Amino acid sequence: MLDEILKSIVEMEEEEAIKKAKEYLDGGGDPQKLLEVCRDAMGEVGARFEKGEYFLSELILGGEIFKQIMEFTLPKIKGESVKKIGKIVLGTVKEDVHNIGKDIFKVFAEASGFEVIDIGIDTPEEKFVEAVKEHKPDIVGMSCLITAGVTSMKKTVDKLKEAGLRDSVKIIIGGGRVDESVKEFTGADAWADDAAKGVRLCKQLIGVEG
Amino acid sequence: MKSPEELAKERLARIEAAVNLEEPDRVPFSGVGGDVIAAYAGITQEEFCFDYDKAKEAIVKFNRDFPCDWTFAAGFVGVGVPPFTYAFADDPDVSATVGMAMFGTIHDIIGDTCTRYPGREIERNCSPQFIGGKFMEPEEYDDLIEDPVKFIAETIIPRICRNMNTPRKAMAAMIRLGMEAEKIKNFAIEVGKELAQLGYPAIPITLGYTPLDLIGDGLRDELNLILDLRRYPDKVKKACEALVEPILKAGLALKPLGVKYAFIPLHLNEYLSPELYNEFYWPYLKEVILGFAKEGIKSFVFFEGRHDAHLETILELPKGWGIAYFEKTDVRKAKEILKGHTCVMGGVPISLIVGGTPEKIDAYVKELLDEVKPGGGYILATSVGIAPRETPVENIKALIEAVEKYGKY
Repeated sequence: MLDEILKSIVEMEEEEAIKKAKEYLDGGGDPQKLLEVCRDAMGEVGARFEKGEYFLSELILGGEIFKQIMEFTLPKIKGESVKKIGKIVLGTVKEDVHNIGKDIFKVFAEASGFEVIDIGIDTPEEKFVEAVKEHKPDIVGMSCLITAGVTSMKKTVDKLKEAGLRDSVKIIIGGGRVDESVKEFTGADAWADDAAKGVRLCKQLIGVEG
Repeated sequence: MKSPEELAKERLARIEAAVNLEEPDRVPFSGVGGDVIAAYAGITQEEFCFDYDKAKEAIVKFNRDFPCDWTFAAGFVGVGVPPFTYAFADDPDVSATVGMAMFGTIHDIIGDTCTRYPGREIERNCSPQFIGGKFMEPEEYDDLIEDPVKFIAETIIPRICRNMNTPRKAMAAMIRLGMEAEKIKNFAIEVGKELAQLGYPAIPITLGYTPLDLIGDGLRDELNLILDLRRYPDKVKKACEALVEPILKAGLALKPLGVKYAFIPLHLNEYLSPELYNEFYWPYLKEVILGFAKEGIKSFVFFEGRHDAHLETILELPKGWGIAYFEKTDVRKAKEILKGHTCVMGGVPISLIVGGTPEKIDAYVKELLDEVKPGGGYILATSVGIAPRETPVENIKALIEAVEKYGKY
């Protein structure tokens, strides 16, 4: 049954995957195991994306199926703590009001076992600094869509340096207009312009096999 | 010293040679623009988006100091509301006047909820931004298919625009738009005049859209639309088919002004697998491109993101159909596939201009042109035209000089 659920998610069979996941839980299945299978499925979707077999449309649909299954699965895992592999403070940088890239990344990061603290869009540098102080994350993830976001990313990294927090975190930047030059310019540790690569790099940054 | 007329003629010949897949005297260069135009003039983004005189002065100053062959970014001071353009597809005079205007002033009048403007929803020095939204339910595909213009004008516009959501407010907004139209027209004419004095050729451009992008950007929101492709594939395809005609009608409203090109910015191309692209996106985009071609208008398509997986489909178009402007697709590879068929544009990552140095830019352009210059059919441009306001001016100068240095045939 779990194998079938995994296959349905990976093959983008939305209705089938959700139906089977419900049946599994209704038949007394272990929600923790279902969660693990869903995570594996999302890992496979990400892997296929990185191989060029899947495209952004599949990442989005895969994320949607995952979210729908989690809606009725997570409440059943109450009490037992879900093990996290690391903590990410995530936000779209100042002056940029887009959330699409950030939100797609967030689903995949959570599916990979990260705890994600989403601090929103158009996020001032100071808010990143405060969030790092408060949540002590392993990773700071910054997203932007518009080119103006590139300079906001640099300013945010600079603010983290000023606050003496730069060395306590790894910084990954993401979004459509981000590349190796932007990484160098901003002083981030890694960059990705898709969620699958972003999550793989986050795992590498904290020394977990991707 | 060349006269402005001579200079304009020379620049136009350069661009047209490239579009016609020939070698001009030098690789034509389409300049950067966007936020840096306002910053260079010392005005805020808010002023740039809402004050016609200040915007005009800023555009002219920037294009005087940073010359290029094609000021594609000139006059473009905001972001548009796609359904608004097509609500007037059956009224070409209206469509040509306010339907495509991308100005903060229009945003104020209609009160749309799918864009964010500096000094309004966001801080006064921010870029104007398009964020879209969901303005249509899946059950409404049938209404869209039956009469797209009526559905967009009468059902969607009141949902998008706070100032048009009752008949009285809509009437008042339309009168205000009519009063504003004269100012917009004057702005366009004035900018054109001043740029002509600087030796820039007049290249009037109209707007086209891919039907699937219009549904994603303007009606369903892109994420919902991606899910619709699996949930309601037949309805989505019928809707795309129904939107081809209004898209062409609105685009052709500007034909009497001597428009030669239709700019078609793509959005969901990068999102789709070849299978989905060939089923939902490309057939209808192709219809739009061929529809413009039938009227003597070449398409100027911006392929956002990576178009690598779909490059070969461009060869299905007739040779010399227009310009393929690539963002993150490797233009070397694109040129290789499309040479002798399609004029290729792009090549310089905007990040290099934002964060690089004049030396790095010089070296990059030299290497790029060594590879893509031979044979012609190429226009050099940055990956996206919008340069942030902190973009170092010495880097923009370095780019201009590098094209001059290495671009000659």
